[in-house]
Amino acid sequence: MRLQHWLYTIPLRLRSLFRGRQADQELNEELQFHLEKKTEQGIAGGLSPAQARRAAMLVMGGLEQRKEQMRDARGIHWLTDFFDDARYAVRSLRRTPGLTAFVVITLALGIGITSGTFSMLDALIFKPYPVPHPSGLLNLAGTTHDSSFDDFSYREYLDIRDKTKSYDGVIANSDMQAVGFSADSTAMPRIKGGMMVSGNYFHVLGVEPQLGRVFREDEDRIAGRDAVVVLGPEFWRHEFSSDPSVVGRHVRLNGVDFTVIGVAPKTFPGMQIFDFPDFYIPLAMAPVFSTDRQKNFFEDRGDRELNVRARLKPDATLQHAQNELAVLAKNLETEYPKFNRGRNAAVHTHFEMRTRTDDGNWKFSVIFMILALAVLLVACTNVAGILLSRARTRTREIAVRLALGAGRLRLVRLLLTESLMLAVLGGLGGIAIAYGIVEWFHSYQSVIFMTDLPSAIPFEMNTRVLVAAIALSALSALLCGLVPALQSTRVDLVKGLKSADVDLPGRKGMWGRNALVVAQVSTSLMLLTAAFLMVRGFQQNAIGGLGFPKDHLLMTSFDPRLVQYNPAQTQQFYKLLAERMRQAPGVQGEALTQNIPLGLDGFDPFAFVPDGFEMPRDQENFNSLMDTVNEDYFSTMRIPIIHGRSFRGSDTEVAPRVAVVNEHFAKHYWPSMDAVGQHIRLNSRDGALVEIIGVAQTIKYQDSAEKPTDFLYMPLSQRPTPRMTLMLRSNGDPLQLVQTVKEVVRNLNPNLPMLNTRAYVEYYRNQAIEGPRVAMKMVGAMGMVGLLLAVAGLYGLMAYNVSRRTREIAIRMALGAEQSAVLRLVMGKGLVLVGIGTTIGVAMGFGVERLMNSMLFDAGGIDTLAYITVVPTLFVVTMLAAYIPARRATQIAPTQALRYE
Amino acid sequence: MSKPSDLLQGTLDLLLLKILALEPMNGWDISQRLKQISSDVLHVSDGSLYPALHKLEQQGWITAEWKPSENNRRAKFYSLTKPGRKHLEKETANWSRLSAAISHVVRLEEA
Repeated sequence: MRLQHWLYTIPLRLRSLFRGRQADQELNEELQFHLEKKTEQGIAGGLSPAQARRAAMLVMGGLEQRKEQMRDARGIHWLTDFFDDARYAVRSLRRTPGLTAFVVITLALGIGITSGTFSMLDALIFKPYPVPHPSGLLNLAGTTHDSSFDDFSYREYLDIRDKTKSYDGVIANSDMQAVGFSADSTAMPRIKGGMMVSGNYFHVLGVEPQLGRVFREDEDRIAGRDAVVVLGPEFWRHEFSSDPSVVGRHVRLNGVDFTVIGVAPKTFPGMQIFDFPDFYIPLAMAPVFSTDRQKNFFEDRGDRELNVRARLKPDATLQHAQNELAVLAKNLETEYPKFNRGRNAAVHTHFEMRTRTDDGNWKFSVIFMILALAVLLVACTNVAGILLSRARTRTREIAVRLALGAGRLRLVRLLLTESLMLAVLGGLGGIAIAYGIVEWFHSYQSVIFMTDLPSAIPFEMNTRVLVAAIALSALSALLCGLVPALQSTRVDLVKGLKSADVDLPGRKGMWGRNALVVAQVSTSLMLLTAAFLMVRGFQQNAIGGLGFPKDHLLMTSFDPRLVQYNPAQTQQFYKLLAERMRQAPGVQGEALTQNIPLGLDGFDPFAFVPDGFEMPRDQENFNSLMDTVNEDYFSTMRIPIIHGRSFRGSDTEVAPRVAVVNEHFAKHYWPSMDAVGQHIRLNSRDGALVEIIGVAQTIKYQDSAEKPTDFLYMPLSQRPTPRMTLMLRSNGDPLQLVQTVKEVVRNLNPNLPMLNTRAYVEYYRNQAIEGPRVAMKMVGAMGMVGLLLAVAGLYGLMAYNVSRRTREIAIRMALGAEQSAVLRLVMGKGLVLVGIGTTIGVAMGFGVERLMNSMLFDAGGIDTLAYITVVPTLFVVTMLAAYIPARRATQIAPTQALRYE
Repeated sequence: MSKPSDLLQGTLDLLLLKILALEPMNGWDISQRLKQISSDVLHVSDGSLYPALHKLEQQGWITAEWKPSENNRRAKFYSLTKPGRKHLEKETANWSRLSAAISHVVRLEEA
């Protein structure tokens, strides 16, 4: 019945909405018909035609009133009223095109910056997993005393998978890693991004392949048996031109033949935020991809490199899952104290995982979001101020409307419709600006990801961001429209009708405007402080340098697994490469290193116990970062050996194991002793013995902003590593050496690709300077926009004030007031407002600084220079904005001004 | 003189629906019929008739159609819709209950 009912009512509503004129005509016709009939009846009853007509009209009781009643019956008058208001608003906005344009641009900037920034926040925090029912997926993580987001080892994963009951499947995956890929055995291998996943990965996620099939559960049971690969959608498109016959074909991954069994759907680019794997391989194939041949991925409970996720059963609760996992972790701790002492486990939701404390990206985006909202606030207060001034010049119009019987609510609605129109235009402009900002982010793709792997900036304009932009527009319409609308409809009717411009009763009206100025000054001061602090923070990082000369260095990486070298061949290759490069013309020095400072591969973690040291009960070993280097590393990189010696050719694989530590490491573990000659044990107190032979100066390892950190070097000869980077120090332009390296490598093996060949200083600039500069530009732009808007707003309000007080000033001057007195009068108020605004702004600045320190730089203390620079600048600029109108006030000719009106 | 508002709230709607349930009619005929069947006891002014008809139409209980009337002038003819018919049944039942209850009360007072 309900639906049937609508069948009748909806067409009627639409008709009165779109064919209102015709409906009105019919109304008229119907009533006229009735009147004529009535008149006929009257005439028949003996009345004259005129009398009959009059009688008919009397009974009807007012034709227009009836029509209005009938129109109201349509139930859409609120909508037609809105259209009337909108039409009126557009007309009145078109009368002041300059002002309208200014307001629209202001709002567009505010909304655009905010929604553009929101695209970051969205991609980093809110975007759900690209799978069906994403909210059922939980992240499982190991927790220790210093991390709540630890990975699991393969054995631990199996335990969780088999011994928990809260889930419809537990899955695991490795990080995306560099894999040598060739479409057939003859082609030269290229570096691609592969991810190892458990056999049930796609099934549990609910991802159906667009072609072929996904892994079977049994395909990750037996190590090395099932060499099958599932392609990522993007990889399939550009590498195989979306060829459907790819299923069943053989490809080579790190020199091993794999069969393509399927292609993941377009809707599933991957579960990570930044990484979009080219292909997926079963966990059981791990040995093919391991960088460390001494590791035993399948058995070693300490080899933790798996992310574990699980799908919660519909009837299980998070709390239950959490308890179950905690019990399991306790059991593991009892069973394997060697590996799991002090280790617990926790269940994290998607949101908890995305806002993990040890990740900086989302924190940046939150800070950006706060700053962007501040810009929007300044924009809104600006517009509110303008609308307020505008509304005051319309006092008479509003008074007339009120006098004619318009309800106050109806007038507020009219004025709000006007600001809504502005916000709609501003919102459209804002969406365009947001698109621009997202595009601008994307233009930094190659700067931020200097890698051959498929990583990308995930920020995009999607439905959520558009909805946010629309919501922001509506919000700003309300923010900047409500106060002026409420205030300007509170008019004293008598006064309002007498004069075009009256003061509002009491001081309430002024209070609102003063608050606007204070809010603007303080918010923009906060923005400027934040911008300044961020620029300074990044600059300090950049100036600090790395601790060794970055110029005249060429970098290029090799992975002999790409040409199927075994470990012995690999060792031989690096030995020959180093020897030949040493003798090559133009080469001052060569070095081989597993990872370069600020390198993308990340340094390996290193677990050890100082020999003879009694470990605390809850801790099995200490952790540090490490690098594998050859004997010329320190001299070529010019990292001074402070004490002891560097590696030598005599430190062969059969010689006693040795290591070099950095100064921080040495001071940390042997504060009062000489570290050289001390021993450490690998992994645990009964691990292999390693002698410390030298102490190197501490440099920056992972981040140009990092604090001094423990670090240890091992010789390549004692820790064979397949993927190494060659560093060459040149006399002149390092890129001139590229040809030399190419020739040497071609002689060794013509098929071996050189990866990431660059001048190191170039690489450094991108990593440490260009990337942060993106953030600096953003914050700087926000600060500037905020300041400009605040200055424009202040100027506008002061100018308006002066123009309103023209007569008063003229009278004062006619009575003999000095120019300076008038200047004081007008400026005094501005000074007070700016003063209050500055005070609040400084307080807010302190707040932001604390926030940034706690989240990003951790510099501690207060950056006085920031305030010394920013506060006077803002003060001078805002005072200037107040001075110009004030100065104009003093030049008013009294005779002219008094004639005003 | 009693005013048209003597009609109980909502009863006009019921009357109109009832009249239209018999056959489709235009506004003029409805006004004549009202007078005739209620023997002038229920006085509905022309002024309140049309807004009431429109409200019923907008609510979907009745629907309208332009058709030639007896002397070939175009007039708007109203007829009951299916939901309108159901609505009428319900309202009639309501009315019967209400009027029965009121009669009962009135008789009580007299006794």
